[in-house]
Amino acid sequence: MNEAITIEQLRYVRLGTADLKGAADFAGRILGLQLVDRTDTAAYFRSDYRDHTLVYLDGIEAGQAVGFEVRSPDVLAQAERLLTEAGIVVTRGDAEACEARKVRQFASFRMPAGYDIELVVRPLQSGWRYHGPRDAGITGLEAIALRGAPDASDQQIWTTLLGGKISDWVGDAAYVRFDEAHHRIAVHPSEKKGIIAVEFGVENMDLIMQNAYHLRGAQVRIVDGPGRRTASQQVFLSFAGPDGVNFSFVAEGERIVNGRRARQFPRKRESFCNWNSDTQIPEYQ
Amino acid sequence: MIKLADVSYVRLGTRDLEGATHFATEYLGLDIAEQVKGAVYFKSDEREHTLCYFEGDPSDQVVCFEVEERSHLDEAAAQIERLGYPVRRGTSAEAALRKVRDFVAFRDPTGNAIELAWRPAYSGRRYHGARDAGITGFSHVGLCSSDLVRDEAFWTEVTNARVSDRIGDAPLLRIDEVHHTIALFPSPTPGIQHINHQVESGDDIMRSHQFLKDRQVRMVFGPGRHPTSEAKFLYFEGPENMVFEYSSGVREIADELLWRERQFTFGPKGFCKWGAKPDIPEFRK
Repeated sequence: MNEAITIEQLRYVRLGTADLKGAADFAGRILGLQLVDRTDTAAYFRSDYRDHTLVYLDGIEAGQAVGFEVRSPDVLAQAERLLTEAGIVVTRGDAEACEARKVRQFASFRMPAGYDIELVVRPLQSGWRYHGPRDAGITGLEAIALRGAPDASDQQIWTTLLGGKISDWVGDAAYVRFDEAHHRIAVHPSEKKGIIAVEFGVENMDLIMQNAYHLRGAQVRIVDGPGRRTASQQVFLSFAGPDGVNFSFVAEGERIVNGRRARQFPRKRESFCNWNSDTQIPEYQ
Repeated sequence: MIKLADVSYVRLGTRDLEGATHFATEYLGLDIAEQVKGAVYFKSDEREHTLCYFEGDPSDQVVCFEVEERSHLDEAAAQIERLGYPVRRGTSAEAALRKVRDFVAFRDPTGNAIELAWRPAYSGRRYHGARDAGITGFSHVGLCSSDLVRDEAFWTEVTNARVSDRIGDAPLLRIDEVHHTIALFPSPTPGIQHINHQVESGDDIMRSHQFLKDRQVRMVFGPGRHPTSEAKFLYFEGPENMVFEYSSGVREIADELLWRERQFTFGPKGFCKWGAKPDIPEFRK
């Protein structure tokens, strides 16, 4: 058995944007997140009991990053060693970068598909619960859908180094779990790079459909669903956000408590949605 | 008071029996029980038939309710005639066409053609739809009403129908535990306002939405969820502008003594709690 890094939880997403003001307006007014901090160059949003789970940063060049929590400085040091041994360049965050992320320590590395993975220690919690500007029914940051290397060669970083377990495959797209949720990361092989969608949980199917009508009324472009994912059994709705990054609301879905064998689904639309809904996302077609 | 035991079938005249049959099987998902000269009988559950299309005037629309005893037919006839509405006894040939042992026919105060039947035929062959729409059975009808207050009084005084909820003055009436089996909606002319079939799950509603939309069937309301009965629903248009509904998860009223009817607004919010807006004249002011 190889040594693997133990991930505590999916923690946050950081997104560079060409229009910080517009993106911040979207996150609050359309998505329904709660603004917790605003600087000249960043807007922090809360979706649950954590201080923040989404940050918009001024300038596309700020890139995209997904943050995962590890338990202790020792685990972080072990992670640095394992990643370096695997030939991955790992950068330790300085004090200023830690402060910007509201974490005690972190290290980051670049994935082949263009986004950074940040491993953080002691990220800030909030004593105040999330209260959004509109009743979107959000329960928290649920998962990230990512583009991966076209030949799926980067998937072993998730499974071998980061200790993720594959719950299911659709073609070569992999749903990776780190806890009881069916998946926290979905990796879709693609010629393109970057994050496909940031997914927030909502209370139930009523909220999925209420949001669908609300977003349609607000002229937001729905790009996938509403539908039900064949593998995870989540009901979902994805819509276009700023800078080509989509957002999703998801509800219900399988919990995997005692582990199970990963299943292989064929690469067909019906494997992505068993309502056979329309999609504009090439990776899901 | 006449005890209505169940809603049995609807009979619809059509100028295009072939087209109506195509719709009922390929789109709606019913099962052909029998084809005779000038009429086609359709099955949706354990009963011999629950819908009959016959060659004739599309305004010729009949809904039939089952009574438990033959004597109820005579009692019903006497009571309804006392109120000034003529009642006609069905001939044995007409009863054979309806696959019932005996029946009476009358018009309610609006002029809707109603039949009460004794011993409607059940069938040993189970329902197997032409497509997998998930239908579990024919469940209720909407009836047109030119005077909602008068017609509510007629149905609740002459039969065992009780008001479960009202949308504006439109009453949703139950004859057993199911939230409603008859619903009255405002319309200057008589006729069946919609025909409901229950489906297994919300997933079936959403799958049918996509299936029918792909085939250019006109959607007139939904997908949505009724705040009254809690059922998820989809309304779409069939032959001769008849509105058909699929719904799932209808509320059951188990304890008569604990239930009190509620007043909902006659507007989109009274009809749907997801935010869908009806394109159905009888559901709009």
